[in-house]
Amino acid sequence: MKCGFCQRDIPPPYQVDPERKSCGSCFGGCRKLHCPWCGYPNPLPGKFLRRLLEKQAGKQ
Amino acid sequence: MSEMHTEHPQIILVGHPNVGKSVLFNVLTGAYSTVSNYPGTSVEVSSGTSTIAGRKYQILDTPGMYSLMPITDEERVARTILLTHHPHAVVHVIDARNIERMLPMTMQLIEAGLPVILVVNILDEAQRLGLKLDLERLQKQLGIPVIGAVMKRRIGLDELYSAIDAYRFCPHKTFVYQEDLERDLNAVVPLLKGDYRLSRRAVAMLLIQGDEDIRELVTKGEAAAASEEIFDQVRLISFRRRADLHLQIGMERRRICRQLLDGVVTQERQDAESFGQKLSRWMVRPLTGVPILLLVIYFGLFQFVGVFGAGTLVDFLEGMLFEEHINPVVVDAAQKYLTANWLFELVAGEYGIWTLGIRYAVALVLPIVGSFFLVFSILEDSGYLPRLALLIDRVFKLIGLSGRAVIPMVLGFGCDTMATLVTRTLETRRERIISTLLLAMVIPCSAQLGVILGLLAVQPLALMTWILCLVVVFMVVGVLADRLMPGEKPVFYMEVPPLRPPQLANVAIKTLTRMKSYFFEILPLFVIASVVLWAGKMTQALDLVVAALAPVVHAIGLPTGATTAFVFGFFRRDFGAAGLYDLQMAGALTTAQLTVAALTLTLFVPCVAQFLVMLKERGVKIALIIFLFVTLVAFAAGWTLNTFLNLTGFLL
Repeated sequence: MKCGFCQRDIPPPYQVDPERKSCGSCFGGCRKLHCPWCGYPNPLPGKFLRRLLEKQAGKQ
Repeated sequence: MSEMHTEHPQIILVGHPNVGKSVLFNVLTGAYSTVSNYPGTSVEVSSGTSTIAGRKYQILDTPGMYSLMPITDEERVARTILLTHHPHAVVHVIDARNIERMLPMTMQLIEAGLPVILVVNILDEAQRLGLKLDLERLQKQLGIPVIGAVMKRRIGLDELYSAIDAYRFCPHKTFVYQEDLERDLNAVVPLLKGDYRLSRRAVAMLLIQGDEDIRELVTKGEAAAASEEIFDQVRLISFRRRADLHLQIGMERRRICRQLLDGVVTQERQDAESFGQKLSRWMVRPLTGVPILLLVIYFGLFQFVGVFGAGTLVDFLEGMLFEEHINPVVVDAAQKYLTANWLFELVAGEYGIWTLGIRYAVALVLPIVGSFFLVFSILEDSGYLPRLALLIDRVFKLIGLSGRAVIPMVLGFGCDTMATLVTRTLETRRERIISTLLLAMVIPCSAQLGVILGLLAVQPLALMTWILCLVVVFMVVGVLADRLMPGEKPVFYMEVPPLRPPQLANVAIKTLTRMKSYFFEILPLFVIASVVLWAGKMTQALDLVVAALAPVVHAIGLPTGATTAFVFGFFRRDFGAAGLYDLQMAGALTTAQLTVAALTLTLFVPCVAQFLVMLKERGVKIALIIFLFVTLVAFAAGWTLNTFLNLTGFLL
């Protein structure tokens, strides 16, 4: 996964469990992944969008 | 991790992420590799063996790193491996296409005295781009073995085997920095007497850069009195060079690398600069970057969010769908079935859960926020945001911030609460406080911005007045904060990623994800706010609050009805903006009053959620000071603007 701001690769340990609900900074529910290089909060797609993405990737 | 220490000589692979390091590791080790966590961390390190010219080697694949000065846990682990092992060779893998960007790390590894072999990978792609590399010349310049490779096709593998087999460590060359930096290094290096895995010059450089792990290493490696003397010297240098140390070191390394690459890299095909490259250059230069920014604001924020989102979409959802079709049905049903007045009021009354909470969230805020997130995702996916950071870095320096603060500031236009959380990524405490203050005061959230742009769009002079006032407050408060607040000034430099056309799928997914998160965050808050307001109405406590605020609201020339928008605004900024929308739709405000209300409401206290985050991030004292300061400035600015408009007759 690449950061939306600095475009650097987010290393695997930061690529959190897709079921994770919080970025670790807030009380939960934000579904953000903070880039370890620049701190930018990247949105993590929910189940439905993720399934769509996987389908699209499968087709390709 | 016992696999990491074996009797075989070691080869450590290092390099940026995505340069083909893992491909090389797999080529070297085949299927015989193990992956385990580095002790005490969750960072994975791969280890395997390889037989080269009849000799067995242990190969370690380290996590991607950008420099010897670590930022992330991955980089720290990679650096720790370099600090604690005595490898036969350190193979630095770089991407030939980005040789200028990656060579500074090679330089650092050489400077550290490590036995480096440089593998210039992905040569085929570089050649396709018309780049021609004279690697023999580079080898002479660097004084280490340099291998050209396309590892996925095993090109260069035999040369690498030979280089590993024949590698005999000899002292590396020293790269000379500018005089003042050399003077500082020479003040520290002679004081270092301990035995370090890295050269003393590299240790001194990392110490000056404030590397805590190296400091610890020096504390252990030197006698107590000697380490104190070293740290005093380092403190002195760091203080003297506090404004530009990291920047200067970065620039110096780039200067030296450019010299090293002189005659090494030639562009065979002198293609004309593409439009994307030109546009990228224009975006960061003030003369062209500012007009581009104004175009982005005009079309992205004003036309799309303000006119389309807050105008067309809200008119459709709120004016047509809710007012004409949904609300009458809900209100009729409530009147029919909810016979108790308090229950009717709770669901469909003036501050009812449906008529206020859900209507505001679905019909007013969501279309505006959705259109903002769409524009934002397009800008984000195109790579415009880092260019904006570079463009405004100079202006931000005037207010004690750096271009890095563009992240929370731009995010603030989406939601100030989330943006306040992001201020923790800023380098200094001072920067974090200034940006929290400016977010709480001057940056309107997307819903507020959309409503205000939508309301003021029909009055261009009022809109200009609102923008001008915000810019003046932003600059005055920022410059004063910069002058009055003690602390270190930030330094900012970043690699700018390539500009690219936004990908439809990326933009759609990011927009929908953001909209979903936002909606589920605000909906319960809007419902709670309407219940609190309903309770206030039923107990008449709301009348008391309105009566208490009324003199202040009158003082800035607004009618009593505007007080509710301010009360709403404290629950949520977007809730307050929606209240302002209702007032204007009811024809309760003149143009001058609307401008004053829009300005005061924008500057007015942060919403409850933002205030809670401020408490969490900045502490009670700072959060309360900001809260009081913002309230005072908001009403002072409203009063000043109202007085000015009355005296001059402007907008009346």
